[in-house]
Amino acid sequence: MSQFLLVLVSGVASGAVYGLIGLGLVIIYRATDVVNFAMASLATLGLYVAVSLRDQGVATVLGIVAAVTITVVAGLLVRETVIRPLGQGQLFSALVVTMGVSLVVENIASSVWGDEPKSFPNLVNGTVSWSGAALPVQSLVTIAVAAVAMAVVGYLFARTTLGSAMRAVAENAETARVVGLGAQRLARIAWALGLGLAALAACLYAPRSGLVPTALVAPLFRAFAGIFLGGLTSMYGAVVGGLTVGVLDNLAANYASASLRDTFVFSFTVLVLLIRPQGIFGTRTFQRV
Amino acid sequence: MFRTMRKFRRAAGTTAVLAVVALTANACAEQDSAGAGGDSSEIHIGAWLPTTGATASYGVPQKAGAEAYFKMINASGGINGRKVRWTVKDNAADPQQTVQIARELVGQDKVVAIVNANGTSQAEAAFPFVLNQSKVPILNEVGGNESWFKPPRPGLFGTQTLYEDQAAAIAAWTVQDGAKKVLVVHSDPAAFVNVAKQVEPVAKKLDPSVEVDRLTVKYQTTDYTPVISKVKAAKTQAVILILTSPEAAAFLKEAKLQGLSLPTYAYAPVAAESTVSLAKDAAEGLKAVQLVKAPSDSDPAVKEFRTAMAKYEPGQTAGFLALWGWSNAKVFAEIVKTIKGPVTADAIDKAYEKATKVDTGVSPVMNFSPSNHLGTRSVQRVVVKDGVWTSQGDFYTPPKRG
Repeated sequence: MSQFLLVLVSGVASGAVYGLIGLGLVIIYRATDVVNFAMASLATLGLYVAVSLRDQGVATVLGIVAAVTITVVAGLLVRETVIRPLGQGQLFSALVVTMGVSLVVENIASSVWGDEPKSFPNLVNGTVSWSGAALPVQSLVTIAVAAVAMAVVGYLFARTTLGSAMRAVAENAETARVVGLGAQRLARIAWALGLGLAALAACLYAPRSGLVPTALVAPLFRAFAGIFLGGLTSMYGAVVGGLTVGVLDNLAANYASASLRDTFVFSFTVLVLLIRPQGIFGTRTFQRV
Repeated sequence: MFRTMRKFRRAAGTTAVLAVVALTANACAEQDSAGAGGDSSEIHIGAWLPTTGATASYGVPQKAGAEAYFKMINASGGINGRKVRWTVKDNAADPQQTVQIARELVGQDKVVAIVNANGTSQAEAAFPFVLNQSKVPILNEVGGNESWFKPPRPGLFGTQTLYEDQAAAIAAWTVQDGAKKVLVVHSDPAAFVNVAKQVEPVAKKLDPSVEVDRLTVKYQTTDYTPVISKVKAAKTQAVILILTSPEAAAFLKEAKLQGLSLPTYAYAPVAAESTVSLAKDAAEGLKAVQLVKAPSDSDPAVKEFRTAMAKYEPGQTAGFLALWGWSNAKVFAEIVKTIKGPVTADAIDKAYEKATKVDTGVSPVMNFSPSNHLGTRSVQRVVVKDGVWTSQGDFYTPPKRG
């Protein structure tokens, strides 16, 4: 039982990270029709800044704030300079551009900070004993921070005027403009929010993985699996999908095979998509011929 | 008058054309006489190294270590009065790019040998052009496998103890430490699996009662919680890690969190500074084998390395990877020193085949022969003590495998 609890908590912590990244991807996608592949590398850039600040003696929490800020600023810069000029609805062009940006940012990080793995500090050290299992406090903090961030995003979209406006833009940018909502301003806010969530997720993930320029490629990959599982257009879907991927991944590694964890997770995802192509929470769209 | 002028112009034109042809021919002849490897005052060698991309963390320090050595010997007059010119080109660990670089180094730069390059598949992509077609030797490559040296190939010489022999050395170490039940935790790509498979036969050869199991882990796993659970359930007495450095660090951290305290051993890729910096105190007591002595050693040869690194490559850490590069450069220099006359590809090839007892002071003593192109099977045992890799004893040669 204690072993199951340990594996479950660890899986939920990993899933929370995938969920946060997935949520960021969905927010940006819904607001601007951009699948942002550069999100992970931009968040890595923020992490490197946080590590540099830590090396200068700055507190970890302030480093995390700096990481989020840098990621958001860099992301907005990317949007304004290379994504916005493409125009609305250029899904595939934008996809390719964000892939290119991702490679450029990885190379910049590699040139400035090198490729040698760097450690990123835990927010909290130690373990808590529960039902005979020594649960890492860092995992519990990861779950709590991610839960709070998700709750704030949920509140923002459900209960505020800004959230309503962003949902309106997601439904139809042209209509939103007609009724007086600034689509570009809302798009910038969506990018900032999405990238902020990704940076936060990166700060929660990095203590476990260490930091190299490509450190966030694996969680981005799993976050994509999560959003396809949950439904590309659903924010709930992104969170639930991410959590499902994290938990299944760990359970498969523990009870099936540590080398087949991805196979298990992605087989499950494919199975779900075969039965429900729009994902668990996604909405099926129809086009009039 | 006009006819005379025309004749004069024609003669002048012919003379000019002949002069150009003669000068060109002379220039070509001069270029050829300089021959491969530069003029008689220098030895021109080359290498492909990943100084950008995913494996740049290996290529950059490896380059720095060799650069430091070559700068040091050039400052003291070079090899038998000849300066070493080492041209390094970035292949970003890409085999196709490596072939292109090989053509540049051999065809345009006219290097006499490829020395201290990096990468198994990268070198293999360049073998047909460099070794077979151009007859330029590839020396002291970081990487390689058993098939490179059995049977020996003309022009291919190695200085790195094979990963399979490293596994044999770890197996012997666990048995010597008294472990009766050993678990090998390894990543799933074939390169890791093949190494992990070498542990059991050697362990059983030394002690038939030893039980060896293997646990395969998905490559680049960062969450080791389920893996540690499995290790605990296996009730093993020792663990051997055939993983990358970040994976091993993740294993060690999770083991510490879950209160798993077992003697843990690893092969050379784990015996890196990054393992200690990532795992911090969880790495304390980790045992591993290395190709060279620990860079922190008080040995004079290692001190010389640290001094040269501080002087010639001040921006780089004097760590294990830099010491690999240093050692490879030094082996090359020690062998080339024995060449009387022009330093050509053929002369280097012959010198390597005759080279015995090549002692760099930082790596095992190398012995080559026409039937043995791999200089050593030995390793250095190292242990993390107070957060620093420390050498334990002298170089150790594992029992023969198979």
